Amino acid sequence: MKKEILNFKVNGTPYEIEVEPQMTLNEVLREQLNLTGTKISCAEGECGACTVLVDGKPELSCSMLALAARDKDITTIEGLAKDGELHKIQKGFIEKGAIQCGFCSPGMMLMIKALLDENPNPTKEEITAYIAGNLCRCTGYVKIIDAAKAAAEA
Amino acid sequence: MNKEFTAVGKRITQKDVVLKATGEAIFVPDVKLQGQLWGKILHSKYAHAKFTIDKTRALALPGVVCVITYEDTPKIPYCRSFRDMPMTASGQLQHSDEFILADKARFVGDPIAAVAAVDEKTAEAAIELLEADVKYEVLPFVIDPRDALKPGAPVIHDYSPNNNPVNSTPPPWLAIGDLEKGFAESDLVVEDNFYCSRQIQSHLETQSCCATVDSNNKITVYSPNQLAHPFRRELGKMFNHPVGKINVVTPYVGGSFGCRLSCHTEPICVMLALKTRKPVKLVNSKEEDFTTIDARTPHYLHAKLGLKKDGTLHAMELNVTTWGGGYVSRAMLAGGIMLIWGLGHYRCPNMNGSCKLAYTNTPLGGAMRGFGNPEVMWGIDQLMDRACVELGLDPVEMTLKNTKHAGETCNTGLPIESTYIDDCINEGAKAIGWKEKRGKNKGGTKTLKRGVGMSTMTHCSGAWPLLLEHSGAIIKFNEDGSANLIINPGSPGTHIYGSLSQVAAEVLGISVDDIYVVAGETEKTLFDLGSHASRSMYVTGHAVRIAAEEARKELLAYAAKMLAETPDDLDIKDGQVFVKANPGKKISVAKVSATAIYGARGDGHTISGKGCFVPHHNSPPTAAYFAEVEVDTETGVTKVLNFVSAVDCGKAINPMTVEGQCEGGVQQGLGYGLTEDYVFNPATGATATGNFTTYKIPGAPDMPLETKIIIIDKPDPKGPFGAKGVGEPGLVGIAPAIMNAIHDAVGVRVTDLPIKPEAILKALKEKASK
Ligand code: FES
Ligand code: FES
Repeated sequence: MKKEILNFKVNGTPYEIEVEPQMTLNEVLREQLNLTGTKISCAEGECGACTVLVDGKPELSCSMLALAARDKDITTIEGLAKDGELHKIQKGFIEKGAIQCGFCSPGMMLMIKALLDENPNPTKEEITAYIAGNLCRCTGYVKIIDAAKAAAEA
Repeated sequence: MNKEFTAVGKRITQKDVVLKATGEAIFVPDVKLQGQLWGKILHSKYAHAKFTIDKTRALALPGVVCVITYEDTPKIPYCRSFRDMPMTASGQLQHSDEFILADKARFVGDPIAAVAAVDEKTAEAAIELLEADVKYEVLPFVIDPRDALKPGAPVIHDYSPNNNPVNSTPPPWLAIGDLEKGFAESDLVVEDNFYCSRQIQSHLETQSCCATVDSNNKITVYSPNQLAHPFRRELGKMFNHPVGKINVVTPYVGGSFGCRLSCHTEPICVMLALKTRKPVKLVNSKEEDFTTIDARTPHYLHAKLGLKKDGTLHAMELNVTTWGGGYVSRAMLAGGIMLIWGLGHYRCPNMNGSCKLAYTNTPLGGAMRGFGNPEVMWGIDQLMDRACVELGLDPVEMTLKNTKHAGETCNTGLPIESTYIDDCINEGAKAIGWKEKRGKNKGGTKTLKRGVGMSTMTHCSGAWPLLLEHSGAIIKFNEDGSANLIINPGSPGTHIYGSLSQVAAEVLGISVDDIYVVAGETEKTLFDLGSHASRSMYVTGHAVRIAAEEARKELLAYAAKMLAETPDDLDIKDGQVFVKANPGKKISVAKVSATAIYGARGDGHTISGKGCFVPHHNSPPTAAYFAEVEVDTETGVTKVLNFVSAVDCGKAINPMTVEGQCEGGVQQGLGYGLTEDYVFNPATGATATGNFTTYKIPGAPDMPLETKIIIIDKPDPKGPFGAKGVGEPGLVGIAPAIMNAIHDAVGVRVTDLPIKPEAILKALKEKASK
């Protein structure tokens, strides 16, 4: 299949790479850029494990073509900590015990990042509604919501 | 052990959680090996079929390296959940009834061929070609175990012409008294038929494997399994390969919940690596997971209870038909263990039961968190609640009359070491507001009715004496005073490495920050059975304790030489060895360790300790669950408003971890009770609910508005620092507590899981028409 050039930024770094047009953003991040912090589970837009931020907005990388990210700014979990300092959301997740197996966590943390960027002081109900599409099988969401609140207050 | 703990009981975050927060943690699907090929599996389209496969076209596809079918496998029958886990009670082994690739398809999804190709897309294209080149001879099939056991049903395995490979009865300590007499003497007999559904573990990381074989014939397998050492042994048998030349590597695991007690993709992946002599990676799609993995074994349960007027349980009979699947795997134990949990929980003088296992043309019954306990309590605790209503008694009061106490015979046949189940019941009842809410529709309306309900359970800490038990641990000191804790209990997200580090730190007198865990490779660790049966804290915990005590002894002996004191006069705290009678006289653990390793005393050695442990006891965790629900009588929809789990897991080594386990248990139990509905298409035997849209696990908005976890936190006499198991108890009684609350709200029940709104509406209609 004919490849196309994709220019985009990932975690602040500009990339110019060749991709096959049918490739998803998830495949490009994981397979081409080796950013395996972005997870893949259902691959059908049902679980949220693959969530990344595209120009600051949460998107399901399994359901988005890589070429749709042309000229966009992508944030993956690898881009959350800055200069070796963990982001307050990461700290909240670690301290509150919100990470068990950790497979939902990258997507979940990026979702919370998008929420806090929109709404710096969300209520428990707002957090619950915002992460409705991000499934977690380990935590019962209780400590995830605690962590989001702690990050908002930090 | 009266002194104040420095590490045990603290809310500490396991070190490697940071790696999960940054995306650095490597899971099997993230593993990339030089020159790696991609594997893919061809699954049978039919529930029961003979077949021939023409490989020619797939092999000719550029980029395809190999295609394998049954003919290419070693044809050594194996059991995907490890036959070599002898049941110590009966000496019985699990059946080995399958091959790496099927000789005959026994369910829709049965692996019948596999390919290895240069990339994933090519592998998928090859599978499509193969799919078109299979000639099936379709055979009659049977889905429901009750049909499979009827005479004339299609025969699934030749060796088992009646599809009934095994029947179980309760162990002698649970088959007691005289049932007939017991029921005759009872004032009330309640009984019903229950369906305990097929629940999918639904961990997010799909089944996956990477395997490689080097020029010394050493096989390295990256696998997210829960039982690495037994798995290595089974691999050795299946490929007739020396286990010393197999290393099973378990990196981070994206959830297990029992599913990873079985190997799903691994044998095929290793087979492809052996054929191609190249690394091969094989990652299931989520749909493949839904349609092929060993899920919670479904059962039909007939339960019958006899009670005295005052609510004392007098007779109990449980009869189970187990839905085995195309091969038996863990389902072989599933019905028998149900009897053990069910008959072992309450005090009752007359008990018996039976279990029949049936082969069916469906994916396999396996283990999921609680393994039989949520299933059996779904029936028993509904009947208990019904009996309360009929006898006009309060469930809290009546349950307290029937709970067992320390010293009585536990489900495992051993004496109960400790149980604080009565505390769980009393504290849970208080927290949910039982007295104010039961039977009062408090806060409800005419159409939105509210109620509260409860359930209880007894589980286990490890599988002794029912199954093999054994764990080992090593501690070695580094010259900076830190220590490596070398263990391999598996770590599917339970933070067990952290809790075990707390045990080690407590014994060694150093900070938990100075314990570095080495784990996840069979060739670098002592044997550990792995993670199941809520065993790791209890069994590996003791192994760690013993290893740490040994290392501590060595450390003190060496320090005594350096301080010219005797070891008995020394103690360790905050990384300092000091003289008890003269705390000012001290030396750092780092100095002692460094001197031992590098000092020029001519006695250089690494201070270390080893611990191996087999428990000859089994302290049962117990719990009580309380639900408050609101039922919409117009739609039949149930909303869980509040949920309280009160758990007695002995001393909570890390309360944050215990809460996390129990909160997660609520999500899974709520799904089991209300939303997770696995359905087969009766016309084809195919899974009709093969994704998260049709098989709905609870999202954040589906959870109770409030979830409260109460930890009783009283030490057990036999557990390490008083700890018992807690992994599974989190979900056991959730579904029956919800059902009993629904009954309190609207006066109807359903007996089939999950509780569907349409079933509630139907029951309400029937009730209204009476
Ligand atoms: S993997 Fe993208 S939504 Fe599930
Ligand atoms: S932490 Fe395991 S899925 Fe969320």
